[in-house]
Amino acid sequence: MTGTPVLLNRILVGILGVKLLAIGVFLVLLSTVPAVATWWHSWSEGAWQGINQAFNSTRFPGRPESWLWIVLVLVTLLLIGLMVAWVAQQGKGRTNLLVSDDDAGDVAGEVRIGGGVAEQALKHALAERPDLAGATVATYAVNGRPALKVRLLPRQGVAPHLLAAEVATLVDALDTVVGKRTPVLIHIGAGARTRFSRAERVR
Amino acid sequence: MSQPDKQKVLYRETHSSRAVAASLAAGLVVVLCAYGLLESAVHAIGQPAWLIEPQTAAERLVALPSGMPPLLLGALGAVLAMIGLFFVLNAVLPGRRARHVLNGHEAGWSSPAVVVDDEVIASALARRARVAANVTPEQVMVVISRRQIVVNVRPTSGVPVDEAAILEAVEGELGEMSLVPVPEVRVNLATSGVIGA
Repeated sequence: MTGTPVLLNRILVGILGVKLLAIGVFLVLLSTVPAVATWWHSWSEGAWQGINQAFNSTRFPGRPESWLWIVLVLVTLLLIGLMVAWVAQQGKGRTNLLVSDDDAGDVAGEVRIGGGVAEQALKHALAERPDLAGATVATYAVNGRPALKVRLLPRQGVAPHLLAAEVATLVDALDTVVGKRTPVLIHIGAGARTRFSRAERVR
Repeated sequence: MSQPDKQKVLYRETHSSRAVAASLAAGLVVVLCAYGLLESAVHAIGQPAWLIEPQTAAERLVALPSGMPPLLLGALGAVLAMIGLFFVLNAVLPGRRARHVLNGHEAGWSSPAVVVDDEVIASALARRARVAANVTPEQVMVVISRRQIVVNVRPTSGVPVDEAAILEAVEGELGEMSLVPVPEVRVNLATSGVIGA
């Protein structure tokens, strides 16, 4: 329902995981297998020489520091910015508008209905039910179109299909009020509030 | 713009988005980068290093197996490998959540898409099984996995319990739910009973 970049998450998490795993396994091998240690010595000496060469040849004229340090600072800043942008992508997708359409009448302009209408109406209709420990309603934009997510926390023992059917009739009523069919996702979940509250006995 | 695809929405609801692992990974990279940034900035303006001079760090890295107890090095490597394995498994495994889709065969948005936590299904089935077996709630336990439902019943000592009736009741309730994927039901009657329930 949300705009979380699922594939990007998998790829980036996988890359980081493989790198950490490789470093970890390498360190273990380094401390246990002597052959790996000799190989690492011969390889890392050469690499270290190359890096030293690069730093020496890029000094500021007349000063001991290399400008590669500035480049390093910029690269890490860029990386931090990218990571912050990545985290900001998680779970986004909330929207405020339920309907934003031309009503095809004589009056020029657009009709806009806020998501708060549906959220408040459904929440109020669900608040009185004794078989629910809680309910939240939120509007999301899925493929640029508004959709409602209804999260229900029923008490223990409530039949989910009957609950879903009753909420579906509420959604139907809402659709006739709004005048447009809105995609709705009902998530019937369990949480600490349902686990430790009393069981629903009537019904 | 077309309506969002119902199957896609349902797939996203029944599978983990790995937001937690992603945030952890991003946080880890940010912390590492922040430290690197600090040291290289300090070095660029010619100040003494905070924790370790990059030059010294690199030289120690080159000399690695020596200059560090092998046990510590191995332990460090093992911890790093474990963290790496956590991220790799998070990325590679299908990441299914303990949820089922209700009435998942209906395409289109004429009816709402419904996703149910397995815990809710279990408590509803346990209630049904309890009524069919005529026992107290504590004597019934339902375990749900993706394709299988196990109903464990401990009968009251001296009171016979009809296994077929329990199975029929649970399957009837399941049929009304029409879950996707369809799980198969197994009823386990405990051989020992509960006294005085």
